Amino acid sequence: MATNTLTRNLRINKMGGQTSRLFVHAVLISLGFLYMYPFLWVLAGSFKTPSEFFSSGPSLIPNQLLWDNYVYAWNEGHFSTYFVNTIIVTVSVTLLVILFASMAGYVLSKTQFPGKKIIIGGMLALMFLPGGYTIIPVFDLVQRMGLLNTLWSIILVQTAGGLVFNTLLFMGYFATISKEIEEAARVDGANLPRTYWHIMLPMAKPMVATVGLFQFMINWNSFWIPLVFTIGNPSLRTLAVGIYAFVGENSTGWTYIAAGAVMSIVPIMAVFFFLQRYFIEAVAGAIKG
Amino acid sequence: MSTESMIASSKAARWPATAKRDTLWDQIRKNLWSYVFVLPMLVLAGLFVVYPLIASIQITFYDWNGIGNPTRWVGLRHFFTVAQDPLFWNAVKNTFTYALVLVPIQLTLALILALVLNNPKLKGSTIYRAVYFSPVVTSAAMVGVVMTLLLGSFGTDLSVFLVNLGVMSEPVDWLGSPQFALPIVITVGIWHTLGYNLVYFLAALQSIPRELYEAAQVDGANAYHQFTKVTIPMLREVGAVIVFLAILGSLQVFDLVLVMTGGGPFFASEVVSTYIYHFAFTPTSVSAEANVGYASAAALFMGLLVMGITVGQLLAVRYARRNRVNDA
Repeated sequence: MATNTLTRNLRINKMGGQTSRLFVHAVLISLGFLYMYPFLWVLAGSFKTPSEFFSSGPSLIPNQLLWDNYVYAWNEGHFSTYFVNTIIVTVSVTLLVILFASMAGYVLSKTQFPGKKIIIGGMLALMFLPGGYTIIPVFDLVQRMGLLNTLWSIILVQTAGGLVFNTLLFMGYFATISKEIEEAARVDGANLPRTYWHIMLPMAKPMVATVGLFQFMINWNSFWIPLVFTIGNPSLRTLAVGIYAFVGENSTGWTYIAAGAVMSIVPIMAVFFFLQRYFIEAVAGAIKG
Repeated sequence: MSTESMIASSKAARWPATAKRDTLWDQIRKNLWSYVFVLPMLVLAGLFVVYPLIASIQITFYDWNGIGNPTRWVGLRHFFTVAQDPLFWNAVKNTFTYALVLVPIQLTLALILALVLNNPKLKGSTIYRAVYFSPVVTSAAMVGVVMTLLLGSFGTDLSVFLVNLGVMSEPVDWLGSPQFALPIVITVGIWHTLGYNLVYFLAALQSIPRELYEAAQVDGANAYHQFTKVTIPMLREVGAVIVFLAILGSLQVFDLVLVMTGGGPFFASEVVSTYIYHFAFTPTSVSAEANVGYASAAALFMGLLVMGITVGQLLAVRYARRNRVNDA
């Protein structure tokens, strides 16, 4: 946090003292509770019986810790499949984006080759074009490649979607690493792949962490791409799509939906609270850069 | 950054080269590894990003249900149909309503919260920051599901309660009501992504040199004047970027609307992305069968609109930046 000794807060400055600080904390805690309330409520709801779910209204305390909803959602609701699919997609895309973006970012920043300027220019131009409106040709292409109804379709499309921006990020990061280190490696006889793998990639750890964290979050939460590419095959659904479909098919099984939602939210929330400092620094870094 | 890197890399590349000028072929042959390393990125981005951009334009000229090759050429007809479809303009109106209501409210709340949390004397501000940021890490689809459950569970009771209080004249079915559906989605949207802007503003506030506040205090400025004369002007540049990102993000709203209302009731919360989705993938009462050509035309229409706004905003950011340089 800032070491600023001057308060920029109007209210505290005017009132001063202990009571006003307590008041600010009281407001922040109540607001924070309200902020988290939907999550706490759905967590409580996942332990309720169907009748209790409707009768107990906003209550956050279930009558008992009923695990039946989880068992049903996991088995009958196919959430075991959705969970595995989500993990496969999230981990594969995160690793592929880190690998391909850092490889491209490295050579674009540290080597000179014909066509490089065109590639960089093309990537910068792509940043200005709106995404998300081209799903139809993507769908058509995936169909023609015979990848429809495979998890590969989701993995490839989402990896491609993350590559341009993250390649630019890595390019910027590698540009800050002095060329002497790389030259020393080349003098020692290391070729380009060895220099990348043993010297440059380890030096880019902070950027690998940032990109990895963001990709993990984005892909765990992605909805639109998995939705479109699993329309014909429910067994490929990810958690987000699975719950959306579950809401449509099982409009009465609300406690199961609550259990499914908790299963989807808890892992990413756990990752966030565990690594929150890095998450927030990465987000803050985006606006400063 | 990019020019620096180019200079640095051109030096690096010249290092192994001999004094004599290489031919193009020599340069390519010497840098084979470079091509191998950019290849995965180029192939994937080319296939799934660049090609679809071009192909989506071509599709707009055909009547096509998405199966096999498009055959029936219709020229610009889809664009005329889109431009004349009141449901499309309704979706455009809702999309802009979403963005123009959400952005000012969310940014104001985020700025107030950032000002409070930025106080160095406030203990536990890291914990508060994490709590207010936490909805951001959850997907919009999941947030939509949770909110739908919440309203479904005790929304009716809440509605009856409000009637008893005299706030409302009759109970409403929240997401099933044409007046309330869009405002509720907007409210949830404000809650969901406020954390991003809170963190952006906190970062921006922390980058303001404290000497400016000290100088202002020496000059006798009170807290209010410090805010209007130091904080606001210093935030202008980053603030423009924050507004830009918030508008761009909210114009692409999809998950939240699809999950919470599906665009209904009676298209009251239909946004452009759900409109396109319905035409392309889930034919409903609106269209008997999927018309991918038409959906692409609507998508391109909106894409161009958003691009126009992007360019306009970038010019605005640049203007803000230049003004600040002039002020300094």
